[in-house]
This record gives sequence, structure tokens and C-alpha cells, in this order.
Amino acid sequence: MRDMNEDATAHAGQRAVAESIERGGGDGGGLSVTELLALVAQDAREAAVEPGAPGGAADSSVPDVEGLAAAIAKAAGRYLPAGHLAPDADFFDAGGSSVHAVELAAELERDLGVELELDDVFADARPVGLARRWLETAGAAASLALPAPPAAPAVLPAPRSGDGTSAGTRAESAPGTRAESDPGTRAETAPGTRAESALGTRAETAPVTRAETAPGTPTTADLPPLTATAAVATAATVATARREDLDQILADLALADRLPFVRPPEPVPPRRILLTGATGFLGGHMLLDLLRHSDAHVHCLVRAADVETATARLGESLRRNRLPWNAEIRRRVTVLPGDIREPRLGLSDELWHTLAQELDSVVGVAAAVDFLRGYRSLRRSNVLGALTLAELAATGRPKPLHHISSIAVFNEVGITSLGEDDHLAHVDRLVAGYDQSKWAAEAALRRARDHGLVVSALRPGGIGGHTKTGAHNALDLSSGLISAFGRFRTVPAFRHLNVAPVDWVSRVAGAVVCEPDAWGFDYNLTGVPQTLDDVVRDMALGGMHVRVHDWDEWRADTLARLEADPVPELAFLTRVLTSPTALKLCEATLTGPAAEGERTAALVEALGLPPAARYDAQAQLRTFERLADDGLARLPDKDDQPYLWFTETTEGTVRPLDGGRTDGAPCSMSLTLSLASMYQLVRERRLDVTGRVDCPAAHPEPLTVVRGDVWVRPDEGIPHRHGTKHQLLRYRLRLRAQDGELWWLEGHKYARARRDLWRQTRTLTVELGREGGPATLAGEVVVPADSYVRDQVDGIQVAPHLTGQEKRAAKLTWLAWFGLEMGRGLLGPFARAGADLLDLRRTPNPTEHHR
Amino acid sequence: MIFRTTPVTARRPLRRVRTAPALRPLRHRLDPARVEEIPFQAPDGVRLGLTRVDPGDSGRPAVLLLHGHTASADMFLLPEARNLVDSLLDDGYEPWLLDWRGSRRLPYNETGQRYTYDDVALYDIPAAVSRIRERIGDRPLSVVAHCVGALALSLSLTAGLVPGLAGVVSQGVFLTPKLAGRTSLRMSLAGELLRSRVDHIPVDFRKVGLRSRYTALFALASRNASCPDPTCQILHNSAWGTGASLFVHENLAEATHDRLAELLGPAPLWILPHLRRIELARTVVRWHDTDQRYRALPPNALDAAGRIDTPVLLLSGSENGLWGDSQRLCHDILAHRQPQLDVRYTEIPGYGHLDTFLGRGAALDVFGHILEFLGERR
Repeated sequence: MRDMNEDATAHAGQRAVAESIERGGGDGGGLSVTELLALVAQDAREAAVEPGAPGGAADSSVPDVEGLAAAIAKAAGRYLPAGHLAPDADFFDAGGSSVHAVELAAELERDLGVELELDDVFADARPVGLARRWLETAGAAASLALPAPPAAPAVLPAPRSGDGTSAGTRAESAPGTRAESDPGTRAETAPGTRAESALGTRAETAPVTRAETAPGTPTTADLPPLTATAAVATAATVATARREDLDQILADLALADRLPFVRPPEPVPPRRILLTGATGFLGGHMLLDLLRHSDAHVHCLVRAADVETATARLGESLRRNRLPWNAEIRRRVTVLPGDIREPRLGLSDELWHTLAQELDSVVGVAAAVDFLRGYRSLRRSNVLGALTLAELAATGRPKPLHHISSIAVFNEVGITSLGEDDHLAHVDRLVAGYDQSKWAAEAALRRARDHGLVVSALRPGGIGGHTKTGAHNALDLSSGLISAFGRFRTVPAFRHLNVAPVDWVSRVAGAVVCEPDAWGFDYNLTGVPQTLDDVVRDMALGGMHVRVHDWDEWRADTLARLEADPVPELAFLTRVLTSPTALKLCEATLTGPAAEGERTAALVEALGLPPAARYDAQAQLRTFERLADDGLARLPDKDDQPYLWFTETTEGTVRPLDGGRTDGAPCSMSLTLSLASMYQLVRERRLDVTGRVDCPAAHPEPLTVVRGDVWVRPDEGIPHRHGTKHQLLRYRLRLRAQDGELWWLEGHKYARARRDLWRQTRTLTVELGREGGPATLAGEVVVPADSYVRDQVDGIQVAPHLTGQEKRAAKLTWLAWFGLEMGRGLLGPFARAGADLLDLRRTPNPTEHHR
Repeated sequence: MIFRTTPVTARRPLRRVRTAPALRPLRHRLDPARVEEIPFQAPDGVRLGLTRVDPGDSGRPAVLLLHGHTASADMFLLPEARNLVDSLLDDGYEPWLLDWRGSRRLPYNETGQRYTYDDVALYDIPAAVSRIRERIGDRPLSVVAHCVGALALSLSLTAGLVPGLAGVVSQGVFLTPKLAGRTSLRMSLAGELLRSRVDHIPVDFRKVGLRSRYTALFALASRNASCPDPTCQILHNSAWGTGASLFVHENLAEATHDRLAELLGPAPLWILPHLRRIELARTVVRWHDTDQRYRALPPNALDAAGRIDTPVLLLSGSENGLWGDSQRLCHDILAHRQPQLDVRYTEIPGYGHLDTFLGRGAALDVFGHILEFLGERR
């Protein structure tokens, strides 16, 4: 729903196995903790929790956590591309997906007896974190009586001189290396260790330890001391953020203070831009918009080992997003293999400094978008990545940083307004890790502004599919919701949906990058908010009449339907709808007010950009088709209850084409023409046909229609051969006799420049033949004049589940559409005849002078 | 007295007495030595323009570029943007540009002798192709054609007058021209009414002045226009009074927008009967039924589509405000009636008609498709 997806979350197509976890894994419940510890004690000694730490003390003091972590790491490694996972590395960062996480949790429960809430796995997916969490919640901490590790303070003093970094050095180079040596270890381990020690000893030493170890983070001093009860309380309810996440957020915010002070950048349109996240959905579109609307050369940071792989990855993702990728684009793009999660983006020092000098704009689009994962798991991509970009912007030549934030920074249940300059949400009331990480990134960059850095925060809301190409983010929440709306014909009651199509979001974001006067402000790129009424009316226009449910009812209903009839492509929606934290996020989104975007609107007007338009049915049409192609959504088809139908009877004669008989044999048809939706009508101009054909000349028994289509004004009425016999309707039926013999029937109604219009609309010229063979019979059948109006106007039936109003609207829409089409069709030949008359006019030869 | 103005005396156009009208010079930023203007006359004696851009080395496949009616070869040489000739040169082709008789660089639209698209299909295109073949020998030759250029080319192709092309890219329209209902109505009726009074519709307000018989047309074109430039209005908002739209305004670079009057010229009204006949039939049809000189052309190009002997790429902007989805229609019909032909259709999202070549991002969004298509068969 939010921005591009740098870390692809889940592989659609795999089934979630959450149920199996709930059922408890089955085989034997696994080993007890003691047995387990005995089993893994050996591994534990080999795998240190923190490779750089003096190992001996930790080994003897907390063998249980480490041992368990090692066992978990071993299990987790099997799901990863690399095949192994360090106990202190994040499962998702190492390439694990949400689906894998679910499977891993099931395996841990089955094999190790470690029962973890899925939300815990997502919140902190480091093996060591999981081990701690389980030991805490399972009460093992009490029985195993963890002593406060005496080694911890010694381990933790942050700056390790070996890395050449010192926390005291606030030089320009400091933030570059800090992400690796400094916060990477300190910030991640400190709160965790502290929480553990606090639990074990119920002592209040933790904040002190913390304050010692992280001298650069004065904010921790404000925190109340953490107690076990507090930890339990935060874990028990999801209404507020977990304490350890808040600590981590505050520690991360403090990193912004290390940025150097910078001069303002030159206010000229950029010539060299660094863009991250170009392989994502929004990022790819932004890359193209930056190239189209500026003369800049764009350096794209792509996560890959080398340039070839990175280039291939970029090309593939652009194509997947239905964006062009050709020599003309390669001319203006330089691909840099790197990673936003790494210090200095994983670039060599030389390259980093070159870029710092040469770039004149930094655009950060890359982010990990996952509504299930916790802050800890997302911070490296979403927060530290943003800070690294800020560092790049502040180093060397001063340059503006354009940060793609998200409206999620307001995603607090009960927030009253979403203005561009309104206060962000209260971070302690943000529950989902994604919301927290986007909040932290924006808050950290606000601090960076105090250092003189020009930072623009661009906050898209939901990013809908492209209005022209239909390119969409298949794993995006809004894709899932739209698909579910159309599939189940129900919508949850919401106040506003802040959704804008990707083409508009990308265009405006690109314009901010290219317009110096626009730099340095916050923009809500949310377009025109949709109300519930808009959505319901739009869907009704498309022939999909939806019913509105209360959110809880809708969720239960959708989950039940997804369970009864699983759609692999929507498995991620099931996961979101069953995750308590993600539910909070959804709830905040659905109950939130409309986002305001005055500054954005002013910018759009000043630059003459396309104004924001509501993301309505027309704009969503292509996306919906693509969603249907991908298996997420489902378009109405002929197997459904028809939307509208009526009968048609025709009578006439056919003659054999071989000339054997000259008098016609009778032939009559009794058909039902139906529509699955108005979409089918407008897009395909086609009706479905069922019924039977009585044609004794072909077969003594009646022939049943196996498959039948009627096209209205096929090929725009273009005649089959040169002339003025325009096509009005085309019938194509596949017929089967009771003995299994197959026939085909092809029929046409033609418009001609003659005065028998009434007959033209009723007369069908038909040809029949055996399946796979040429036509053997031909003739003409006519709808009797008396049954035409009776059947085809009065006799129109509409799906019974619709309300009376919806039925009348459907009937009128069909009649109006069909009437207009027939009118146009019949007029065609007359227009040509009229033009022929006009052509007889002598071509005047006015004595018009040169001017 | 300030209110007294000297009456405008119509200047006698010098061109009328000339036997060989001069071509207006091309505007480009190539090395002038590389741009070779070849003296070229159509077989019926009409002076045309043929330009070869020397790529510096020999042996490259050649590509002939055909402009649309009232445009000119300038549309492929925009100095202010990355243009198609640049892309072709960089990708290893030898570009050739034909100014057929509907070119802005030639005076016929305004003052010269009349013609129909039959003349273009019968004389201009086949003559240019054979002239190019004299120079390039048996190197492959492809054609990239825009709008009426593509329409006329379809007639030449189905007549078998330009056999053996390596590939054809047609932008905007090909065998099945289709206009929006309102455009068609205006063209058929309003055009007919105007036809007896004026013989062409100018686009450059500066050339006609505030008080002229065209003022009402310009005023009409300015209705609901977002851009105050009268030239832009009559093209973008009205397409010479027909009410269609020639490009998506946002896609043009400012410099291109400001020289639209240089890129697109006045539209002659005497071409309307042929255009109308084609449009109402939704098929490219021959104008001359009784003139035996034109018998080489098929009466209906769609019926003769089986004679097309080359792969065709149909391009169209998704927002084509003039020809609508004609290209999709053409693709569907050919797939259905002539399944043996290699015809594919590519839609360029967010582009209109003319901006597929004039747009500032055309190189990124459009030329890639053309180069990819040409590259497959070089």
C-alpha cells in the first residue's frame, strides 16, 4: 500500500501454514528446554552471539540464550539463500520471506518445542532475539535464573577502536562507519541485553548501562526504568509500541546528530541524481519520470553483487512494472551495485567520495515494505538507510535529499488530521514496525534539517496501479484489498482511502526533485481521498454491486472465504488479516481522516502538472485487469450468475450450398443472450449466448449451443469486402447435437444504406457447417417483428440479488448502450452515401491569396 | 492618427511563378556536412525533398522516415530533444528523410497544386524508395512512418509498389483510420461548409493577423483551452478545427511547444473529401475511381492487405486524440483476416499522437520500441 518494495516480502503462491502452528506442530511437542540445551551446548560454544565480543564470559554466563539462538539460527539457515544465518543477523535481512518465517515458526515449534507468536517472529527475527523472547514468555527465565551478565557492560562500550571509529569523533567520516561498527552492534544489542538483564535481575541497572554504553543518546535518560511488568504489559497489548522498540527508535534518532553541518545546495535543477529503490514499484516509475522530465543522469543503487547482475535486475524489474528498458534509458543510467542497509551504501570509499562530490541530488525511495515485520527487522533498510543517504547528501558538495516517506507516519488510531505540516503520530502509539520505521526515518531527517541539510519528505498514501499501463504492486496491501473487494463483492466500512495512482505520485515526486523552489518541504502525495460512497458507486458502475460490512465482520467474512476457497495469490492478505499488529495498521488506515495536500496542490498548479484526480473506476480499470491476469482479482465471467439477460427467437430458412435443393429448409433459433457485467460489454462488446438451434437440414435433433458469442458492431463495422455493407452484429455459435455431432454457426446482421432499417436490425444472415469443415448451409433467419420488443425490451431480466434501483439502472444502461451502438452502426452506410453525394460538388477554387 | 492603419495589401506570392518551389531549410544540430539534400522529383514532376544523414561509415541498414501531413522531416530532427535520427545513428542505421508533397517545407499545402493521398502512395513513396535503393544497393531498408505518411504507405504496400522492405513501423494509424464521432462530424460537415470560402486552415496566428477570415476559427479553437498560445490551441485543442487533439500537452518540451508553427503547417481543405471517404469507410480507399493512371492502387487497401510482404509494427499512444484506437483495431482485424502477416501492436502509455516523436521523453518511451523492432531484422 505504501512505497516500493525493496525487500520483496512474500512469494505469492505459497500457502501460509499458520494453522499448523496453532494446531501445535504435531509430532511430540519437541524436547524440553533442558534437553534442548544439552543438545545444542556444543553448537553454542562455536557460535558466539557477538563475534567481536570477548567470548568466554558470555559463554559461561548465558549458555541457554546462546544455545537456543544457535539452534534457531541453524533451523532458520535452511530457509535462506545463503544456507546459514548468524545468531545475531536478521532473518529477513538475510533474504527470508514472510512465508518462510511462518514455516520457520512451525518448524521451531515442532522440532524444538519453541512456541513463538508469529508477531514475535516478525517483530525481531534475529535468532538471539527469538531465543530471548521465548525464554521470557515461556517463563523459562525464572527457572533458569539468568544472572545479569557481568560481562555485558564490558562488552558493550560502543566504539571499538579496531574499526578506526570513535564515538567522540563527530567528523564527517563518523556517520559513514557508524552504521557498521557503532549503532549496528551497540544499538541493536544494547536494548536487548538490557531487557534481558532487567528481566533476570529485576534490577534497575539497565538504563544506566545503557547510558554508559551509548553516550551519544541522551534521550534514554528520559525513559522510565524498565521493569519486567512493563515489558510484559507492552508485550501483552498491541495498543502501544513495545518498549524495546521505542528505545531502539530513540537510539536511531540520535544518529542524526552525527551528521556534519552543511551549506545550502545550489538551487539549480539536478544534473546527476542518486536514486535508490529503482527496482521497486514507485522507484521504477520515478526513474522514468526523472529521465523524462529532466536532463539528468541517474545513478541507481541496486542490491546485487556486481554491475551485470544489478543491471539485469533493474531491467527485469522495470519490465515487470511495464516500464521501458532500452538503449536510450541505459545511456542515461549508471547502475551501482550496493545496499542501503550497509554503511556507505556498500560502496567503496573511492566511489563514495566521488559520488559525494559529483552528485547534486539524492533521492531515497528504497524501503522495506512489510506490515508484519517489526521495527528491529526494518530499521536497517528504512531508518539507517535513510541516514546513510543523509550522510551522502551532507558530504562533499551539498545536495538536497528527497526522502520518500509515507502517510504511515500518521498511522495512529484516532489521529484527527493528516495535514502536511501537522504533527506526526505519537510514536509510542504506532504499533506496526513499518509505521514506526517510517516515522523514525522522517523524525531523524527532521533532525538532519537542523544541520542545514535540505530534506524533502514526500509522503505517498496508498499507491495504486498505473492508470495507463495497469502496472501494480502485486504484494501490496491495496492490491490485495481491491482484489478481495471485487472477488467477494463486499467492502469494509472505511472513512477515507488515501490512494493515488503511481503515475501521479511518481510525476509529482519527480517534479519536486527537479524544482529547486520545491526542495526542503513536506508533501503529502495522497491525491484525492476516496470515500466509501465513491468506491461503492464506482464498483456498481462496473457492474459489481458490493455490499458494505463493518470492519470486523468484513475481516471475519473475508478470512472465512479465503479459507474455504484458498487463493494462493492472496495468501499474504490472510497473513495480514490475522496479524494483530498489521490489523492495527489497517484499522488506523481505515478509520483515519482524509489526508490534506495543500502544498502539493500548490506545487502541481505552479508547475502545470496534471492535477490530482480521484483514483476512480476508470483509472483503476487497467490495474484491475492486470490483477485479474495475475490471479488476485477476478473479472465476472459467463459461469457467474448473469448480470442481465433476455431471450431472442428467430425463424427463417437455410439452403444447402452445394445447390442440391433450391427451396429453403426451415431453421429457427431460440437463444438467451446474457451479460456477466457491463465491463464485458464496454471492453469486449460481446454477449454470451446459450440456447438451441432447430435446423433439420443440418441435424434432425435440435442442436444445443455449447459456446456462443455475439459481438456488437465487430471491427467497428468495417465491411468484410469493399462496399457499404457494414457489420452490425456477429454471432458465432458452437453447436452440439444429442449424438455428439458438432456444428458451427456464423451469423451476421448488416447495415446498408437502404430504407428497411427495421428489417436490417432483425435479419441474421447465417452459415452452418460441421466442426472443422466448410459451410454447408446458408440462409437467413429473422426475429419476428412482434416478438422483438416483447422479448428484447420488456423481457430483459436482471440478476435477482440486486435492488430494484440497481435493476432499473442496469436495464437502462444496457438499452442506452445498445441503442446507441445500433444507431451508429445503421448510420454508417448512410453517412458514406451522403459523403458520396457531397463529393459531387464542384471543388471550389477560391482566389485565396497567399494569406 | 493612431486608429488609421494602412490597409493590408496582399502580397503576390512569388512562388506561384516559380517552376520549382524551393524547400525550406531543415533545422537540426547535426554537422551540416553530414546532411545531404538530394534533388528529387516525383515521377509526376512535383518537386519533393529527400535527405540522407551520413552516418560516417558505410554498410549500415537504411531507415526511411515519413512525416505526417503538414509536418516535415523536421519532426525527426528536433534540435531541442533527443530525436529519432540521433537514436538511429547511435544504433547503427543510416537515416533517410523524405519530404513528401504534404510537407511543411514545401508550399503545396498552402498555394500549390492539389493532390490526394493517391498521389503520395503512387508517386512519392515508391519513387523515394527506389531512389534510396539506388544508393544503398541491397542493404536492408525499413520505413518508419507517422500518421498520413503511414496511411499512404499502407496504400503503396498493398499495391505492391514498395516490395521487399525489411520492416515497417507505423505510428498512429495504418489500414483502418478511425476518428472520434465528433471529429468525424466536424470534418465532414463544417469542413464542407468552409471549403467554398477558404482553401487551407493556417496554424500560425502571427501570419494571419488579428483580423482575418480565420479569426473565428482561432476563437473557436480557444474554447476550453488550457494553453494561451493560439498555435497550440488550434493544434492541441482543435487539430485544424476538427476538435481532435494532436498531442498530450505535458509531453512537449517548452522549446518544441514554442516552435509548433514551424513544425506543423496549414492544413489544406481540399484534401478533406479523400480523408472523409477514407474515414467513413474506416479503411484506406483510393480516391480516383476512373482515372486509369491510379489503377495500380487497390480500391480498398484492407482487402489487399495480403500483399503486405514485410513485418509491421503498429505503434500508438494510449491517448491518441486524433485516431483513437485505430491501431488496435487494425491489429485485431489483420490478426483475424490476414493471420499469416507478422503484425504486432504496441501501445505507448500516456502519449498522444504527435508527441510520440516530438515529446521530450519520446526517446525513452517510444524509440526503444522502434529500435527493438528494427534490430530484430537487421
